[in-house]
Amino acid sequence: MTYLLGVFLVASRYGRGASIVASLLSAPPFAFYFARPIFSVAIQDLENIIGLAVMIVVANVTGSLLEKFKLQTELARQRENHANALYRLSSDLSAAADHDAVARIAVEHIHAEFGAASVLLSVGADERLHPPAALASPVSLKIIDFTEAQRIFTTRKISQENHIGYYPLKSSRAWQGMLIIEASQTRSWQASERAAFLDTFCHLLAQTLERLQLAAQAREATLQAETEALRNALLTSISHDLRTPLTRIIGAANALIENDAEFSIAERQECNQLVLDEAQRMSELTGKLLDMARLSSGEIALHRDWNAIEEIVGSALNRLDKHLKDRPVRTLLPDSLPLLWIDAVLIEQVLVNLIENAVKYTPSGSPIDICGQAQDGFCRLTVADYGDGVAKGQESKIFDKFYRGVAESDQSGVGLGLALCKAIIEAHGGLIQASNRAGKGAEFVMTLPLREPPRVADPEVGGSL
Amino acid sequence: MTLSPLILLIEDDLQTRRFLKSSLHHRGWRTVGADCGKTGLALLHSENPDLVILDLGLPDMDGITVTRRLRQLSDLPILILSARNQEQNKIMALDAGADDYLTKPFGSGELHARLQALLRRVSRSIHSLEVFETGELKVDLARRKVFLSNHEVHITPIEYRLLSILIRHAGVVVTHRQLLQEVWGAEHIGDQHYLRIYMGHLRHKLETNPARPRYLLTEVGVGYRLALDDQFMSQDGPI
Repeated sequence: MTYLLGVFLVASRYGRGASIVASLLSAPPFAFYFARPIFSVAIQDLENIIGLAVMIVVANVTGSLLEKFKLQTELARQRENHANALYRLSSDLSAAADHDAVARIAVEHIHAEFGAASVLLSVGADERLHPPAALASPVSLKIIDFTEAQRIFTTRKISQENHIGYYPLKSSRAWQGMLIIEASQTRSWQASERAAFLDTFCHLLAQTLERLQLAAQAREATLQAETEALRNALLTSISHDLRTPLTRIIGAANALIENDAEFSIAERQECNQLVLDEAQRMSELTGKLLDMARLSSGEIALHRDWNAIEEIVGSALNRLDKHLKDRPVRTLLPDSLPLLWIDAVLIEQVLVNLIENAVKYTPSGSPIDICGQAQDGFCRLTVADYGDGVAKGQESKIFDKFYRGVAESDQSGVGLGLALCKAIIEAHGGLIQASNRAGKGAEFVMTLPLREPPRVADPEVGGSL
Repeated sequence: MTLSPLILLIEDDLQTRRFLKSSLHHRGWRTVGADCGKTGLALLHSENPDLVILDLGLPDMDGITVTRRLRQLSDLPILILSARNQEQNKIMALDAGADDYLTKPFGSGELHARLQALLRRVSRSIHSLEVFETGELKVDLARRKVFLSNHEVHITPIEYRLLSILIRHAGVVVTHRQLLQEVWGAEHIGDQHYLRIYMGHLRHKLETNPARPRYLLTEVGVGYRLALDDQFMSQDGPI
């Protein structure tokens, strides 16, 4: 029995070959020490001969069984690793937002799982592979024969050449690209496992590329629909908002020419005033349209500098002085507010638009509050009014281009003011939100990121302040 | 009787020139018009105007070049007319020596206020002043003392320098660059935060509500302007 135990242990530790050697090597000592005649290799008892033979056979069978078992375990572990790897890959891929991200994830995972360098080429609308713009990752395959890759891609077949594997990627709908992997040494019994694993790998990549393609198509479709809707809204809006003042100007000017003799001085004055007011309104509207067009075409570059919000609020209020005659404006801007790294002209425009809105949509005489607050690396600027507030559910819609609370209302404005505000604040990396306050009225909150302002080296600091 | 000031209008749009002329004549000023930069510069020699109104969008030369040429020839006040999308050109023209600006479209009220402030500066009524007064603000320029409603306000030497430059240009915009150069020197021209901090101190000392200033007005993106009291304007009257 000791003999069997020894062989068994050898088999479990070193595999089948070792166990056979062990069983054969252990036979002579067994014969020598245990089988009669003791201290002779000869065996007299038939019983012992049979016993030894059985033991050798049992040892061999056990050894081979054990080895099979070990192999199975190994395979199972391998499969589990593969399953885990695929799980990690698919969860990483699901977060990938573009081709570059997919290329990087693919290269890194292949390096981790196969220890091989690789590269992922995506296919363009022209059915041709695109060379990667740059190395997706430090473990990317550095040199590839691009013409060769293109040739193999057109055959649509997996191919191995010069220790490089080419794997065209096909999703359910189309060929999405090609994975190129440097060959790595593998033991033969792993080859089929590896091939299956790699196949799943490729399949996942192809699906992800397809998902990206579909998402891009969907985005484009939505954009097109939005552009179409926008164009219609613009036409409606312009025809209303620009033609109304134009009609009045033409009317007044006509009246002045035709009735020159009959008009009293007061009547003439009234017509002139109307022309002036309406022209100013048009000027304001075209200005906003122009700003919006420049902002959305990306033509406006931010001219950032260190600015005091107090100055910008002051300037905005000064510009709106005429409209604010009967309005108490309360400002709460603590001295401790740091300088902001912003484009002052654009931020002033945001404040002007918000204050103008407050004047337009709240009863005359009701106050307007402007507050500033620095907190957790952000500056919060609030313009609050005491009107009816923003209609429920419209809090984010009002920032859409050409949105107006009531269609064809007599309020002037093309519904661009708030859209402009949003575009400007977002260009600064900030946020703008509308809400209704618990009491009464609407509140527009802008949040702008703070930066550490430069120091002022000056003898007067700490002087007579 | 002295002649009323002669204003050279360099503006290519005929209708705008007409409107400017009629508005200026109405106030008793004389005008001479030019529809391009070259003619404008030629008229500067022959007509010897007291002030130039210069449109930034001329067909033959850009406004900044015209401003530079005008400055080489004379130091008469230059008022620029700029369109909305000429923000940067406007600042460049101001830094090249123009004195003030108006953004198109503008009303005649704004135009007259600007012209008066510019002409006052030339007439040296401010240079020779011993005491500058606007609203409740009084600055004794000889004794370097500042009073608000007759109470002395203590301000630091840098604050005083800023204030005195603004007084020298009272009613007229002074660019960030001009202020930085004059107070801190050419090497600090990029340090706008200096200005923000010291102008902030001045506002807090001189304004009742620094967030809605009465005297120290901010021209966002351009510079600062010391507001002239309406009363102060009318007392002096047109020159």
